[in-house]
Amino acid sequence: MQKPDLSLQYRLMLPLAVVLLAVMAYPLIFSAWISLHDYRLTRLTDVQFRGWQNYLGLIENQQFWTAITNTMTFVVGAVSMEFVLGFSLALLLHRVRRFQNFYRAILLSPMFITPIAVGLMFRFLLNIQLGVIPHYLDKIGIYVDWFGIDLALFSLMLIDTWQWTPFMLLMLLAGLESLPKAPFEAARVDGASPWLIFRRITLPMMRPVILVALIIRGLDAFKVFEYVYAITRGGPGDSTETILFHIYKVGFRFFRMGEAASMAYVLIVITLILVTALYWSMKRR
Amino acid sequence: MERFQHLRGRTSNLFLESLLIVALAVVLFPFVWIFVTSLKPPDLVAVPDVWIFEISGINWRNVLLESNIPQNIINSLVVGVVTVLIALAVGCPAAYSFSRFKSSAATRFSILAAEMMPPAIMILPIFLLLYQLSLIDTLWGVILAHLTFVIPVVTWFLIGFFDEVPRELEDQAMIDGCTHFQAFYKVILPVVRPGLAAAAIFGFVLSWNDMFYALILTGGESKTLPVAIAGFWTFRGVEMGKMAVAILIAIVPVLIVSFFVQKHLVRGLGGGAVKY
Repeated sequence: MQKPDLSLQYRLMLPLAVVLLAVMAYPLIFSAWISLHDYRLTRLTDVQFRGWQNYLGLIENQQFWTAITNTMTFVVGAVSMEFVLGFSLALLLHRVRRFQNFYRAILLSPMFITPIAVGLMFRFLLNIQLGVIPHYLDKIGIYVDWFGIDLALFSLMLIDTWQWTPFMLLMLLAGLESLPKAPFEAARVDGASPWLIFRRITLPMMRPVILVALIIRGLDAFKVFEYVYAITRGGPGDSTETILFHIYKVGFRFFRMGEAASMAYVLIVITLILVTALYWSMKRR
Repeated sequence: MERFQHLRGRTSNLFLESLLIVALAVVLFPFVWIFVTSLKPPDLVAVPDVWIFEISGINWRNVLLESNIPQNIINSLVVGVVTVLIALAVGCPAAYSFSRFKSSAATRFSILAAEMMPPAIMILPIFLLLYQLSLIDTLWGVILAHLTFVIPVVTWFLIGFFDEVPRELEDQAMIDGCTHFQAFYKVILPVVRPGLAAAAIFGFVLSWNDMFYALILTGGESKTLPVAIAGFWTFRGVEMGKMAVAILIAIVPVLIVSFFVQKHLVRGLGGGAVKY
């Protein structure tokens, strides 16, 4: 047998390295540079160096903190609902053998479609004058303004839950199916109740999968943009202004790109913390 | 006693299935509603409570024959196909290299980390670069932007597929006189063809579904389908009917192909943390 060709390892990786460097490293470095300047699209000939000013400015930037708080609320709320629902559905599907593939295929479908379509569908479904859902709720005496100031962010969470519970279901069901059978049989022989089996065996054994699913979904929920763009555009007031939408507004509506870049870098730090957590939780397996 | 136990098992299963059917209804309702809306005549579109009406093809005709949507579909197709081809070309050899040669867990993981990067950080410099190259409002910009997330995902996907091919296969080929590289593309690549297809489909769907980058980088003739859909956002009834059609055009093909890749998805999304 020939010796493994070591240089081949690097030659095979070269195209990927070159392309990723071009499409990712360059933007990362350039936006770090932008974030240190007063970079405005309307004043490209006069770009001033500002040092850490953009970053320091964020500390007192009320809108930025509102956007961060809104996004955190959204992520925690949406991901918890998705987790509880997704786990319940995964346990259900794991038990029901009949038509399992059929149920699974349908239940997973929302996660494949474009979020802007989901946003617009629900915008009309929940619209106070035109929507089917408020119409029928009204008939049984419930009057809810889904996109009013109190409920708008929560409604966006519900929409996110509709679209992304399938992701939790997919991951957790795969996790359940890969668990060894022996501990469950042993527990059943010993007469343990289903609840005890769930708490003492299923949950601990599922822990790594749960962690990975939560972090990946959390990272993704952080990027929420389409629902906000399709439905509320940040309003009413700034109750649904999320961080990505805020950056989009500051960078591409107000053209203050330096400020937008510094916000994006704060976002990167948050992302990296979560990604590192993901790395450790995956490595422990 | 035995018989009763059996019966109890069956009723509880029926109960569980009815819960599943409720979930099914919640998932399917918006799809059904959007389909029904697309068939409504314009004057009924804004009326929530009408389920029986004379089916009208006018929305479909307007969208397919008198709007820009066909152009948007072509744009989205071109962007998706070109992005995926580039991603496969660079991702495939790299994934093989990751799978076969010693690479640290951290290097592997950096591929996944690349996919997690928030789009906000990429969009500013990409926009400025394209602006200076006068490539704003062209498909090249979107392709470039989509490469930032399609390449990592496709590569990550493929590592898993290569991992599953036994090493004996290329050992045998090399004994028969192939170089290692020949063994890779003549023996291993054909074996992972289903994996390539799954990765390609998944990468394509990600590109097809993106609106954030396309919203900023395209306009006019170069709009992709999701951006065009967002353009129907007025509340006038007629627009709503057309929007329903455009939404269906965007989601139905994806739903169909998704059924074929579902079983491979866990690996692609869970990044090796979960194995089937």
